[in-house]
Amino acid sequence: MRSTLAASFLAALALVVAAGPLLAADAPPKPPTPAECKKQVDEACAKTQDAMNLSGDELKELVARCDRLAPVVAAQPEPHRKVLGLRLKRCRDLYQFVLDTRERT
Amino acid sequence: MLRFASLVLSLAVCTTAAAAEPATKKRRPLPNEYGRVVMDNHSTAAKLAPVVFEHWLHRPLYTCRLCHVDIGFAMKAGATDVKAVDNAGGYFCGACHNGRTSFEACGREGKPTCVRCHSLGKGVKPERDLKSVVAKLPRGRFGNGVDWEQAELDGSVKPADFLEGVSIARKAMEARKDLELKPTQRGMAEIIFSHTKHTVWNGCEVCHPDIFVGVKKGTTQYSMVDIFEGRYCGVCHGTVAFPLLDCQRCHTKPVQ
Repeated sequence: MRSTLAASFLAALALVVAAGPLLAADAPPKPPTPAECKKQVDEACAKTQDAMNLSGDELKELVARCDRLAPVVAAQPEPHRKVLGLRLKRCRDLYQFVLDTRERT
Repeated sequence: MLRFASLVLSLAVCTTAAAAEPATKKRRPLPNEYGRVVMDNHSTAAKLAPVVFEHWLHRPLYTCRLCHVDIGFAMKAGATDVKAVDNAGGYFCGACHNGRTSFEACGREGKPTCVRCHSLGKGVKPERDLKSVVAKLPRGRFGNGVDWEQAELDGSVKPADFLEGVSIARKAMEARKDLELKPTQRGMAEIIFSHTKHTVWNGCEVCHPDIFVGVKKGTTQYSMVDIFEGRYCGVCHGTVAFPLLDCQRCHTKPVQ
C-alpha cells in the first residue's frame, strides 16, 4: 500500500516537473521593467539623426519596430509612459515622414 | 431688398461684437519676460505659487531637443502636466534639478528651493538675472536682447544635447542644405532657411512632422498670418526664438 502511494507521488512529481517548461511557455511574457522599456525605445529611436540616409526598408522596419513598442510603452507606469510615449511618437513620426518624402518625390 | 436687410443686420452684429470687445494692443514683453512660461497645473491647489520658467536661463545650457524630446516636455505651456512627484523621481524638471546637476526640485516639503520655481507674484530675487546671464553674449535687437544663433556659432553658448541617463546616444548630424523660400508678397526679400542652424537646437523631430508636415519644399503653404497666430515658424519665433518683428533675420535674400 505504502509503496503504491510512494510510486503515485513520484509519478505525479515527474509529471509536474515535465510539464513545467510547457506551462511556462504558455504563460504571457513578463512586461518589461521601466529600464528595459527605455532601452528598447532608445534603440528604436537612436537613428533619427541619420534618418535621411536610411533606406526605405530600414525606415519601414524602424516604423514597424516603433509600432510594436507603442503598446509596451502604453502599459508602463506614469510618468514613464508619458515621457517614453512622447519620445517614441516623435521618432516614429519622423521615420514615417522621411519615408513619405521618399515615396512622394 | 432681402440682401440689403441681411447686410445691415450683419453690420449691426459686427459693430456690437466690436463694441463688446474693444481692440487692445498686445504689450510687447520686456527682454527678461520673453520666452517666459507660467505653469499652474497643480501649484495653486497645493497652496504654492505657480511655476515661472525662464527659457533664457535654460537655453544657454541645453538644446531645445534635449528638453522637448528626451526629457519629454510638450511644446505648449502646461501641456506636460508636471507633478511634484515626477520631479522628485527624476523626470521632467527633476532630470536636472536633482541636487547634483542643479538644485533639487520638489525634493522635501518645506525646502527653501521651492520658491525658486514657484515664484509667480512672490517678488523673489533670482540668483541669476537676465543681465548677468547675457552679459557676454552677442546682442540682439528683440526678444531677450540676445542673438542666440550667433552666440551658438561663436561658442559663447554651448548647449548640451545629451543628458546622461536620459538621452539616447546618437551620432552627430550631417549638415543639410539651406532652402530658399519665395514669399507670397511681391517685392519682399526671399527667405533663406538654414536647416543647419535649426538642427543644432532642434534635431529633426522637434519640427518634423508635427510643425512642418509637408514632405517636399513648397508643399506646406503658410502665410505670415499663420505664423503670427503661432503656427509653423510661429511655434517658436514669437515665443522663444527671435520674434517676428525681426523681419531681416529670415527675409535675407535681396530682391532681384
